[in-house]
Amino acid sequence: MFSRIFWIARVTFLEALRQRFLAFLLLLAAAFILGSVPLRSIDFGHGELKFLADLGFGALFLFGSILAVVLPSQLLYGEIDNRTALTLLAKPVGRGEFLLGKFFGSWAVLGVFTFALTALIGIILLVREPDVVARAMALQVVPPEVSVLGLFEHALLQWLRLGIIVSVALLVGSLAQTFLYTVVVGSMAVLASQLVWIAQDTLANPEAVLSTVMRGALWLTTRIFPNLQGYNIGETLVLGQSTVLPGTVSSLSLSAAVYLVVILFLACTAFRRREI
Amino acid sequence: MTDKPAISVQDLTKDFRVGLRGVKLRAVDHLTLSIPRGQVYGLLGPNGCGKSTTLKIVLGLVPATSGSFTLLGHDSASPEARARIGFLPEAPYFHRFLTGRELVRYCARLSGVAADRVDAATDEALELASMTEAGNRRVGTYSKGMLQRIGLAQAVVHDPELIVLDEPTAGVDPVGSAAIGKMIQAMRQRGKTIVLCSHLLGQVEQVCDRIAVMDRGRLVLEGHIDEVLAQRAVHQISVEGLTPAARQAAEEALSRHGAHVLKVDHPRQTLEDLFRRLVTGSRD
Ligand SMILES: Nc1ncnc2c1ncn2[C@@H]1O[C@H](COP(=O)(O)OP(=O)(O)O)[C@@H](O)[C@H]1O
Ligand SMILES: [Mg+2]
Repeated sequence: MFSRIFWIARVTFLEALRQRFLAFLLLLAAAFILGSVPLRSIDFGHGELKFLADLGFGALFLFGSILAVVLPSQLLYGEIDNRTALTLLAKPVGRGEFLLGKFFGSWAVLGVFTFALTALIGIILLVREPDVVARAMALQVVPPEVSVLGLFEHALLQWLRLGIIVSVALLVGSLAQTFLYTVVVGSMAVLASQLVWIAQDTLANPEAVLSTVMRGALWLTTRIFPNLQGYNIGETLVLGQSTVLPGTVSSLSLSAAVYLVVILFLACTAFRRREI
Repeated sequence: MTDKPAISVQDLTKDFRVGLRGVKLRAVDHLTLSIPRGQVYGLLGPNGCGKSTTLKIVLGLVPATSGSFTLLGHDSASPEARARIGFLPEAPYFHRFLTGRELVRYCARLSGVAADRVDAATDEALELASMTEAGNRRVGTYSKGMLQRIGLAQAVVHDPELIVLDEPTAGVDPVGSAAIGKMIQAMRQRGKTIVLCSHLLGQVEQVCDRIAVMDRGRLVLEGHIDEVLAQRAVHQISVEGLTPAARQAAEEALSRHGAHVLKVDHPRQTLEDLFRRLVTGSRD
């Protein structure tokens, strides 16, 4: 079973690379980040690193999300439209194995994307660091410090977050009939997950006046959608300006893993019932 | 085990819901069929009569509305049964970004070929499909004939007992079709069971042992090819140098025995034979 998932994932990965979609988005994101480096001359002073990090992580987040919705949908519909899925599923390949293969293949592509961009952001930050530190010293404020471990942890978290998006796209793709529908609904789900924190905050606010129905709806929203905004702690992790509570990274990773398992299970169940 | 049919279908019905209002479309209508082992079985019928749908149901790719079926004596969903079949779907497209060889290797892995056998099995399958040379090109660059042949290679790479070919010659020129016919015969000689859907009736007649004809989802004829085709009451004699006098004498002689001539004309060669004598072969 694992070897079949591995082979499907491998071919999925290979196919995605050869389609050059990854290369395209990677170049786009890199161009975006590099193109904004000169903007720092508007003088952010010792806030420069924060500006660069915000921008880099923003690009990683935006382009990564696009890739995470479009790539798996495209790979899934490509196989179904081209009837390659028929050929594969007539072999001793389970539907679940097929879908998991698609998931791991797409996720590996996103891994390449995340770590490549993180490396780029890291290099830019490290190159600029001495300058900024010197300036901060002159102003006698606490200089920021780039943490390589933080960068790595952040990349890992982003990769997990993108994995959740991939699994959501595959779940929608297993239920929907067309590529466009999958991309649209998938993007809306991602947007909703990105905004879940608003619902969470509203619920937690004792001063908010809410009807029971509203309260119930908000509560349901926070249960269904993962809070993806919670993974955006790059600045804290990398520049260490405010301290990250110990265990934040591991608890976020754990909750991502739980979400992944649940969503993938639902996706496999839906895909088993689908007519190919 | 081996006396069980390769495919057995009992009272199979399939309705598709089409359109927004979910109108029912009956693609397969109470079909009962038994395909024996070790033979080439032709499944014929006009477009849309439900051949592909029947095969997909039997292979566990599409759920049936009602009825039952077995594949090599097993439930189709069982991996044991599916590991022993090879399937070439109609109008196949494969991963365009892989080379032919990569595709066949991939299929070998998925079909459970042992890791140390994968290379040899891939080479054999490419050889059988005459795709050894083209194997290093991307599938996206293949002609229709090559697509069907690489499809055949991926279907047989794990040495399956039962090979299901859905219109393997669609869109392929006569020389390529003849080559596919030869491959089918080669596989039959190795004792495989082959199910062939095809509109090339001439080829079906040559390679199939039994045929079934479907129309609008129903079975209209089933039997051994010689039995269903033979017109036992009529005979044909080919003669050279038949002068009018000789013809009259022959007719008189025959009528003395109570036989009479129905038709005298010139045999005609098939366009396919003529075509194949004129051209050397495709460049694939
Ligand atoms: N997925 C589907 N949804 C709706 N109708 C379908 C579907 N697949 C096949 N059909 C219909 O079922 C009938 C039988 O199709 P098919 O089995 O492909 O015919 P054949 O292979 O004999 O040409 C056709 O009328 C076709 O339009
Ligand atoms: Mg068909």
